[in-house]
Amino acid sequence: MSGVVVQRLSAGYEPGRPVLTDVDFEAPRGGTVGVLGPNGGGKTTLFRVLLGELRPERGRVILGGSVASVPQGDHARLDFPVSALDVALMGAYGRTPWWRRIARADRDAARAALDRVGLLEHAGDRYGELSGGQRRRVLIARALVQDAQVLLLDEPFAGVDRASEERILRVLDELTGEGRTLLISTHDVEQARRFDRVLCLNRRQIAYGEPGDVLTAGCLQRTYGAELLVVGGEQVVAAPHHDCGEHA
Amino acid sequence: MPEFLTRALVEILLLAVAGGLLGTWIVLRRLAFFTHAAGSATFPGLVVAGPWGVPAQVAALGSGLLYAVGLERLVRRRGVEPDTATGLLLVAALAGGTILASDAYPAGVGVDRLLFGTLLGLQDSDLAVSAGVAVLAVAATAALGRTWLATGFEPGSASALGVRAGAGDLLLLAGLALAVVAALPAVGALLVGTMLVVPAATARLVARSVPALQATAVGLAAAEGAGGLLLAYELDLPPGPAIALLGGIVFCVVALAVRRR
Repeated sequence: MSGVVVQRLSAGYEPGRPVLTDVDFEAPRGGTVGVLGPNGGGKTTLFRVLLGELRPERGRVILGGSVASVPQGDHARLDFPVSALDVALMGAYGRTPWWRRIARADRDAARAALDRVGLLEHAGDRYGELSGGQRRRVLIARALVQDAQVLLLDEPFAGVDRASEERILRVLDELTGEGRTLLISTHDVEQARRFDRVLCLNRRQIAYGEPGDVLTAGCLQRTYGAELLVVGGEQVVAAPHHDCGEHA
Repeated sequence: MPEFLTRALVEILLLAVAGGLLGTWIVLRRLAFFTHAAGSATFPGLVVAGPWGVPAQVAALGSGLLYAVGLERLVRRRGVEPDTATGLLLVAALAGGTILASDAYPAGVGVDRLLFGTLLGLQDSDLAVSAGVAVLAVAATAALGRTWLATGFEPGSASALGVRAGAGDLLLLAGLALAVVAALPAVGALLVGTMLVVPAATARLVARSVPALQATAVGLAAAEGAGGLLLAYELDLPPGPAIALLGGIVFCVVALAVRRR
């Protein structure tokens, strides 16, 4: 059974000017898909289509359940007077009618989600005062409260401390064990080797398949072009920090 | 207590509800300058309301609507920076209102009242509008608070959370417009920030959560409003500016105390 099916997808921000074309892949339910590509390569565009924020110009998307996004959080207002628990609770906003208070069950779910990412003791801490890795874990907790079957994670390991990285990896393993499908955008080729599948994008689909088949020198060269550095015979991707403000 | 003073006190307490609740979002969403300009933008409408026989609130809303449309055109279609566009329209509204006033009010009578309020000369209709806006502010906070929080916290993720950010923002701006109109008789076009910005900005210095911020802002708006009013009555000062000054002093004291902590 599939978690995400994308068929002949083209998408863009102006009619007739797609920034991403010919994307066609099938992610297995409970699988992890690493999404590789340079800045402007179409990773964010693909995620926005999967979230329903952007209509495909061509092709279609079939999802095996609801979708949640775990952004980098760079654009969150760190000065906002919200606690880690407040942010996790935002995962319940979509299912709470405007005239209702947040349900007790959702409050319990938010605490359980924070516990799962190892932050229950920080539930009352101000979000902006947490470390970068802890903030990323709170955003994962928020996606857990959304109870989505498909999670889109934007660079979940970029700039996080070792403890957070290990905790995030453990939680991601648990999520796939529960049959949730994860699409994880990354610039880290070594990291991508751990995933079940890898999707390479550079304004179109360059390759999709198992890491051993996809992460070849030729494929990476076509994916990253000039951004690819070769150090000591091994490919090292030296891409600038991902900018969520970019459209593609 | 004289009846006009009781009336002024009731008005201030009603405005404190809307001012504290909506002021929280004005401060959190960085809309203070926008709100100040929206107040000023009502000035030309207030000037022509009397001579044209239009209710002041309606004229103020119309004038404020022109400001909103002008802002949208300048920012979206002409690519002018939002702050610059707001500044341009603020100058245009004040200058336009003053020029209109030179004809509409031959002796310039009332312009200072339009700009700084007439808290001691309120009509029943002024109290009715403020009561209505207070009720709306409470209802909007209950119904839209989560939307405003999620959108303000991280605009890019709001729709992924199932929050209707666009509709929420539109209703927030509509709420601000109504609160500005309600505050005009008490504090005037130039001092709407007295009730809508200053108390919430002070509360922001100490509050650790949004509900605490709102409760503190409402309390401060009520205390500063009542205190400034009584001070103005005792010392024979203009009440709107007295409340504004008191609010400014409280802000400075709290800011200093927080810095020392």
